[in-house]
Amino acid sequence: MQCKDIELVLEQEGLEPLPVEAREHLAECPECRNYVADLTSLVDVANKLPAEIAPPERVWISLRAQLEAEGIIRTPAESPVVRADSWWESMRAFFGNRVIATAMVGILIAAAAVFEIRKDGIHDSSPPLQQSARGNSPAPAAVPSSSQQLTAAPSASTAPAEFAGTAQALDDQEPVATGMILSSRSPVDASLRENLKKVDEFIAECERHLKEQPQDGLTREYLSAAYQQKAELLSAIIERGRSIN
Amino acid sequence: MCLQMIGIIPAEPRPQFKRSLMPLLAAAIFMSCLMPGRAEAAGQRVEKKFSVAGRPVVVIHNVANGRIEIKSWKNAEVDVVGTQTSNKVGFEIEQAGDRIDVTANILDAAAQPLELEANLQLTVPEETELQLKTETGLIYVEQVTGDMKLESYAGDVHLKEVSGYIIVKTTGGSLVCAQCAGKLDFSSISGNAQILQPQLNNVNLMTTTGNILFDGDFVRTGLYSMKSGRGLVEVRFSSNDSFDLKAQTSTGTVDNQAAAFLKPDTHGVKHIYSNLTHGFFGTVGKGLAKVELSSYSGTIRILRRD
Repeated sequence: MQCKDIELVLEQEGLEPLPVEAREHLAECPECRNYVADLTSLVDVANKLPAEIAPPERVWISLRAQLEAEGIIRTPAESPVVRADSWWESMRAFFGNRVIATAMVGILIAAAAVFEIRKDGIHDSSPPLQQSARGNSPAPAAVPSSSQQLTAAPSASTAPAEFAGTAQALDDQEPVATGMILSSRSPVDASLRENLKKVDEFIAECERHLKEQPQDGLTREYLSAAYQQKAELLSAIIERGRSIN
Repeated sequence: MCLQMIGIIPAEPRPQFKRSLMPLLAAAIFMSCLMPGRAEAAGQRVEKKFSVAGRPVVVIHNVANGRIEIKSWKNAEVDVVGTQTSNKVGFEIEQAGDRIDVTANILDAAAQPLELEANLQLTVPEETELQLKTETGLIYVEQVTGDMKLESYAGDVHLKEVSGYIIVKTTGGSLVCAQCAGKLDFSSISGNAQILQPQLNNVNLMTTTGNILFDGDFVRTGLYSMKSGRGLVEVRFSSNDSFDLKAQTSTGTVDNQAAAFLKPDTHGVKHIYSNLTHGFFGTVGKGLAKVELSSYSGTIRILRRD
């Protein structure tokens, strides 16, 4: 048995029990004896370390992504992936960049600001009304009560035309952001998810109301503010997701 | 072996274990045994004191869970006390001129939430600027004068006897501001805002689903805007106040319990009403301050407290 055979045996079978041939080689080779002695002391020290804590799932996901990105590993071949998955990954990669995510949020806020300016111009030209038409009357029957409010995320298709681009961008960004903290059980992430749901519900309610009352300027103001809040919230989630992962 | 355990196949055969790496590995394992992060530690306390010349700026970023408490004293010093429940959180505290930076970092990403508690207690000169950012846990500031920006995801913010330009931004945390003065901006998604006995001359409160309570005097020439999407907006004013009031809601209701004290606008302005919202304009006293209340679907309540 040669020195390189000893390395192979140790890697495949561990330190003990060594085969007879290996023990015979060790008896004659001081270099290999030292090598085995080093390994033995390493194992002894390692055994004294505190018990490992199982890392969270996100660590494995992050590790896998990094190793794949560097070409060190490949994932086992699977059945053909539907196109939505590749789109998802490209979106995730795109928004995973903090600079781009921040820029997207900036664009959304700017779009909301432009809308506000345009809206004010439209209002200035409307004919003045001297009295509130509804006074303190109760809310119209067409407006659903809070128990009837939507719980699903708003869809760009329900957004008013001038908000469609903003709504679409936010809708695209939302699964990317929530995916980044999906596995987290942190109370902060739970709070962020809960608040995202609340702002989504509010946006859906405002959008539905504007569909019925397109000229309601106050609701537009609230909707515009809610889009901005959602953009900021998604940005915060992405930033947190990146720090976690 | 680890890679195979998680279902990953190495792209190339694993390189042979080289003898030249042995000393390095041994050293790494030895060092890891000596690292403080490995030590099992109970609660720890860090205290640092910094002398400052003028009005200091204190910047705190707490990514752990915990409370930030800031009080003032007459000394030209900033005293920082940090306490932590485990050594999985680390404090970085440094001074650059009159700026004091305090950061609480998570050292072990796998730590449990209970192990990530880091509380900070600061004592600062009365005139100090603050920039605080935390994820959860209470922010408490008392008797500090200076501009301050306070941000939190889930933690509440309590302010007592503070003054300056105060910006509070939360996701779900609530604000209680007692005897505050100056200018206040608050924005939140689900947080509430309670403004008690203020001397604020400029107020902007905005919450999507939270409630707003303003209980106190309106400073003459002050500007006040309070908006809640779904929550309650309640204002309690005194008979000595002087302000113009505009209240409007899209689908909510206006509960005006002070109609007897509100006169039509005395400034001769013809207000534009929308037929798609409901609300009213009114004046108390000479109408020196301007108060705007609005909601999307929540209730607006106006009442006199005396």
